[in-house]
Amino acid sequence: MITSRRAFLKTAALGGASLVIGFNRFRLAGAAESTAGGSFKPSGWIRIAADGTVSLTIGKSEMGQGVRTSLAMLLAEELEADWSRIKLVQASPGPGFEDIGTGGSDSIRDGWKTLRQAGAAAREMLTAAAASRWGVEHNSCRAAQGKIIHSASDRHLDYGALVNDAAKLPVPDRPVLKSAGDYKIIGRPTARLDGPDIVTGKARYGIDVKVPGMLSASLERPPWAGAKPKSMREEAARAIPGVRSVVKISRGIAVVADTTWASIKGRTALALAWDDPPPNAFDSGAHAIRLKAASREAGFVTRKEVAPPGTGAITKRIEATYQYPFYAHAPVETMNCVADVRENHCTIWAPTQAPNRLQKQVAQLLGLAPDQVDVNVTLIGGGFGRRLAVDYALEAAEISRAAKAPVQLLWSRPDDMKHGHFQAASVHYLSAGFDANGAPVAWKHTKAGSFHNISALEPGEVRDAAWYQDWSWGAYDVPYAFPGIETAYVAVDLPVLHGPWRAVFAPSSVFAREAFIDEVAHVGGIDPLIFRLDMLKGPDTLKVGRTTIDRRRLRRVLEVVRDKSGWGAPVAPHHGRGIACNAYFGHTYIAYVVDVAIDHEGNPRVERVVAAVDCGLVVNPVGVEQQVEGGVIWGISSALKGEITFRGGTAEQGTYGDFGVARMCDTPAIEVHIVNGDGPEPFGMGEPPVPPIVPAIANAVFAATGQRIRRLPIRLSNPRLS
Amino acid sequence: MSEFVLTVNGSHHTVAVDDDTPLVWILRDTLSLTGTKFGCGVGVCGSCTVLENGKAIRSCQIPAREANGRSFVTIEGLSRDGSHPCQRAWLAEDVAQCGFCQPGMILTACGLLRDHPDPTDEIIDAVMSDSVCRCGTYPRMRKAIKRAAGAMRAQTP
Repeated sequence: MITSRRAFLKTAALGGASLVIGFNRFRLAGAAESTAGGSFKPSGWIRIAADGTVSLTIGKSEMGQGVRTSLAMLLAEELEADWSRIKLVQASPGPGFEDIGTGGSDSIRDGWKTLRQAGAAAREMLTAAAASRWGVEHNSCRAAQGKIIHSASDRHLDYGALVNDAAKLPVPDRPVLKSAGDYKIIGRPTARLDGPDIVTGKARYGIDVKVPGMLSASLERPPWAGAKPKSMREEAARAIPGVRSVVKISRGIAVVADTTWASIKGRTALALAWDDPPPNAFDSGAHAIRLKAASREAGFVTRKEVAPPGTGAITKRIEATYQYPFYAHAPVETMNCVADVRENHCTIWAPTQAPNRLQKQVAQLLGLAPDQVDVNVTLIGGGFGRRLAVDYALEAAEISRAAKAPVQLLWSRPDDMKHGHFQAASVHYLSAGFDANGAPVAWKHTKAGSFHNISALEPGEVRDAAWYQDWSWGAYDVPYAFPGIETAYVAVDLPVLHGPWRAVFAPSSVFAREAFIDEVAHVGGIDPLIFRLDMLKGPDTLKVGRTTIDRRRLRRVLEVVRDKSGWGAPVAPHHGRGIACNAYFGHTYIAYVVDVAIDHEGNPRVERVVAAVDCGLVVNPVGVEQQVEGGVIWGISSALKGEITFRGGTAEQGTYGDFGVARMCDTPAIEVHIVNGDGPEPFGMGEPPVPPIVPAIANAVFAATGQRIRRLPIRLSNPRLS
Repeated sequence: MSEFVLTVNGSHHTVAVDDDTPLVWILRDTLSLTGTKFGCGVGVCGSCTVLENGKAIRSCQIPAREANGRSFVTIEGLSRDGSHPCQRAWLAEDVAQCGFCQPGMILTACGLLRDHPDPTDEIIDAVMSDSVCRCGTYPRMRKAIKRAAGAMRAQTP
């Protein structure tokens, strides 16, 4: 399954046996051009074989977002393919096959143009081949269900029978795309292509990789940065049957064994004790105090709009500080990787979102060129941004090199929980000013947080406004029309690993912004949903930094949840209803109305969520609904369940017991209303459902209890007394 | 290292492993039945669930010496062709996202339906809440369990 540029060229060189079209974001290329020594670098390709099978090779990783199914739908739509004969092949990186990572909810936008064009080009070539074989006019033929049909003479040919001829034709530069009214597949609820494999246990994740001669490894890592081993019982570890070796690598001490269980037992027997952390080792409580102080500094101003002349002077101000904790990704499949390091070569099998980064860093570690490292991307048992970091692959490669054998490194659950690239804590200072008439005239939001450190900064990276804005989505792009706006970012060093999480940097900022806008509405005694709609008046288009927000779309999702949820209807005692909304990077617009109940122990429970979603054109409605449901559950976890805390440099949580996540009993009724699903183009859905759900819950808890929620996770004090 | 005899999906296996080897690793490493997943190793996530006499159990909590002589069904053996009512219901309701926890969830649901052919939401909450799905497929899982229950009741005369 090595599908680099080399593999593309090899596939293309098969030429006559199949029709191959490569694509990247700029153009298409056929087999002839690709094999003629050109410089075309594909980001994927399609291959139609003589048996009519259509294979789509693409670098997007499947981790539950259904991306490979929706991308195949785009191709099949224009190709008029037989859906039952479409296969997906996972691409791997190579020097000529770059940037195939998966993140930022970008996949559907990336694929929208390229895959439809590739499909249309192939369809035109197959149609031309059939027309020429029959000696009829090109436009008297049509394509359907993997066949070219000439109705006038009642003839048809399967794509497979035409690939030989079609492959000899030039690839059209600008194939004609369908108009939306003619879509048969796009917009149709479509089951996941890999669904049957999942329910029968055939789906293969990273943890399921087996290669001949493979050993198993378990790695003991320093609990705090810089910790040194104080004592260990290496002989005891080696005495465990099945243990082959104890190897030291840069990130710890690994026990290598014949089986997974022997490696786990060997690691236990090793009884590695680390030296005590210094008094100044990282502590999340102390960090929160630093963040809080930083949130009152000026910081780097990411947006400043001075109130126009004639705006009323500020006569009253309110302010609040919002605290956002550390969270783990905690995917159910723990980090793992199989590495087979040989002389001058390395093969990796990894559940990764970042195969290019992985290839480069493993090559660098081993002193190899990138094309000496083959990376096979497996299915991913939950990514959420965690697998944009490649630490686990570097560890596996080091262990394989030391053990001189292919090795599977498997992280335990505590390994995964304690050595994450955590969602970083942040503190947000917000203030609002009102004029003498009580009108809100000023908004200020300062975020004190930390940039992620999954990889070193690129040399020459300029820390300009755009750069700072990139780290504060949800804060600088506040959509509300305050006459005066100032947003700022204060960078605070963070010595523990931290990285992108589901919705990257948006969740903390959107929590603070959407909770505080409720406070601002409350000051004026205005309904928070009506207040939001009022504050979204003014110009329909808001351009700020690289983001363009269409306020009409945000207003529309608010109106839809208002109407669908029965927003104004009374709620029972100890119940509350909350609202929040967000425009994710100006692409996907979501509003939620949440109903919560406070139980007798004072715990909030989310009972109902009504969502309105505008993600542009909907490719697969099933996928959109799944992502909203999953995003809501994700938000319930972060609003009501576990956080990560550090003491002595170490994360204190290690299981789903002490880092709680939402379970079936925490699951509300969820209604999803799709708005403007026939827009001109699609936007991503993996991340956008996450940011606004937590503030909607927090606002509902306020409505139920009168307690403002300014820190997460929500822990109420005497909630039923208020 | 000792020999243990166990039946998995109707086939008899003699395996030579340490007597404390958890069943999950016998299934995955020795028998290459990787449909049974490892998620936590301490019985709190449900990924490693298998069936014994129709009852859902955590294979990470059963050492080889206790597994000896017993008979288990894994996701690979639930049906020959994915046609078990739970598997069909899971597909019909489009439950899976990443899919990793789903074999354990499906087998947990099978155990639930054995004891409660017409489960209420409260029973579903009580039984399924011992398992973790980080993608958040619970709403669809609930629908799939009810759908499977209906299909199984229709099959039973």
